[in-house]
Amino acid sequence: MTEYWEEVEHTADWALRVWGRDLRALFEHAAWGMLSLIGGIAENDREIIRESYKLSAQDNETLLIDWLTELLYLVEDRHALFTSVRVEMVENCVLHAAVTAQTSKNFTKHIKAVTYHDLAIKKIPDGYEVTIVFDV
Amino acid sequence: MNKQDFTRVGDYIWEIPVSYRADMNVPARLYASEKLLESALEDQSVEQLVNTATLPGLVQYALAMPDIHQGYGFPIGGVVASRTKGGVISPGGVGYDINCGVRVLAGHLLFDEAEPLLSVLATRLYQNCPSGVGKGGSRLKISESQFDKLLHEGSSWAQANGYALPEDVARTEEQGQLRRSDSACVSKRAWDRGITQVGTLGAGNHFIEVDVIEEIFDAEAARVMGLQEGAIAVQIHCGSRGFGHQICTDYVRAFQNAIYKYGIDLPDRQLICAPFDSEEGQDYFKAMNAAANYAFVNRQVLAHYVRESFEQALSGKVDDWHLHQVYDIAHNMAKVETHHVSGEQVEAVVHRKGATRAFGPGFEGLPQEYRPIGQPVLVPGSMGTASWILVGTEASMEQTFGSSCHGAGRTMSRSRAKKTIRGDQLRHELEETGINVRAGSMPGLAEEAPQAYKDVDEVVKVVSSTGIARKVARLVPVAVIKG
Repeated sequence: MTEYWEEVEHTADWALRVWGRDLRALFEHAAWGMLSLIGGIAENDREIIRESYKLSAQDNETLLIDWLTELLYLVEDRHALFTSVRVEMVENCVLHAAVTAQTSKNFTKHIKAVTYHDLAIKKIPDGYEVTIVFDV
Repeated sequence: MNKQDFTRVGDYIWEIPVSYRADMNVPARLYASEKLLESALEDQSVEQLVNTATLPGLVQYALAMPDIHQGYGFPIGGVVASRTKGGVISPGGVGYDINCGVRVLAGHLLFDEAEPLLSVLATRLYQNCPSGVGKGGSRLKISESQFDKLLHEGSSWAQANGYALPEDVARTEEQGQLRRSDSACVSKRAWDRGITQVGTLGAGNHFIEVDVIEEIFDAEAARVMGLQEGAIAVQIHCGSRGFGHQICTDYVRAFQNAIYKYGIDLPDRQLICAPFDSEEGQDYFKAMNAAANYAFVNRQVLAHYVRESFEQALSGKVDDWHLHQVYDIAHNMAKVETHHVSGEQVEAVVHRKGATRAFGPGFEGLPQEYRPIGQPVLVPGSMGTASWILVGTEASMEQTFGSSCHGAGRTMSRSRAKKTIRGDQLRHELEETGINVRAGSMPGLAEEAPQAYKDVDEVVKVVSSTGIARKVARLVPVAVIKG
């Protein structure tokens, strides 16, 4: 597996297909894939945002949406431009993660939300795959 | 799915019968020309329309307007009516941008007089109307108690605080206030996102556009609305910002358990719903109404900034820069309405996702002067192409639960648009045609290129030919402001 994600055609919104050798990697790649759509240019080199997360959900798809939604919130609320996104664990629908970020006032794209459309985390020979549609 | 799965029941009406799929509860109907139907079959939009026909408690048909394109769960352009008793409410049937909608202002200022000042005006609009990604730099500082009032009172709050004229409120759908709102049904995260974004445009396909009224089709309706051929008009397209997005996210998540609790089977998780008369359904309805009120205020405050910009750029340089409100409509909403169906009066939750209410003449919820002509229907085209003002008709009440199209509808994905269209070249091309462009993102501009959208004239031809809306005026852009 040499790619982490690719953009998928969707008429009105943005979609990514994401891969990971395990769920931990899948969730981390999904984060970076989404953040690559959002873009941004750092205002300075200070990493002033540090957050850690412990999330749980009834299934991994909901957990993935919860995780990405937390990152979207940081972008919107604190203009976070991430320098580090570490998913430490995804097990039994529980996620532990930590992020650091600079700030940016120039983002390329605004993602309104992460949708459930066609959202299904699939086991594949090399690990896991998911297609995520973002409302923009 | 292909054209052969449809039965043509009218020149521009195509039906998929319940026999097409075992889980359909009602037939599906698509309003489209052959060309628009073929375009719809290129993505998943028709399959999504069929999926909406599986929802419980539906009345008559699941519908889609001619600007249909693929959404998530519901197609964009989708309209379904679900009985208030025995039916459901679906956050996916409203969308993340609750009460995304359009406001049109117009005046007596003629294009010929305004033209030399359009560049300055465009710059003023861009400076005065906060836009872009993130908190978006709201110019308002609203206290918690004032925000709570705003969520309940909608446009009335804006009027009380000096952002609206009485006639603005009268010429807003529902007078800018959905009364069954409750901020207690809104999460803290939604609250925190919303309180800092009031009066901001956002980004994406949201815009402020200065237009010229190019042609009048219905002189009497135009006179009533104050539309004059050759005069300037302004469109504002935006919604409930992060507030609405968060409410939809919260309730789509909360409803994941509701479908098991109430035994609802769905072909697509994004169609998530709950019985309208359940606690979950009512909580979402009240939160959605709070977001709707927020969006009415948002467009009202932006309208105030538009007037401010016109005054700054034009006062003393033109005869009359003033703008009056034509109307403000929602195109992502679920409303409780009563419709006459097969001889009975049916109360239903009418979900319009990328579709507009288009009530006909006589509706008492319209301002007095509009009752003879019907409700204005505002149809923005894509950037650089025409937009339309129509009015609702009695036929729309009979055919489509009083609904019509909302825009041009996309035909090209955003990723393809970004790869094949350069934003800087597009801006240059638009400016060469006389359209002043102010945009915060060139890739964002590329995504909104005219070639990424359907032909809005074709879309309007379908709604007017079927009688569900009547043409009043065609507008063309002269300035576009985007985040």
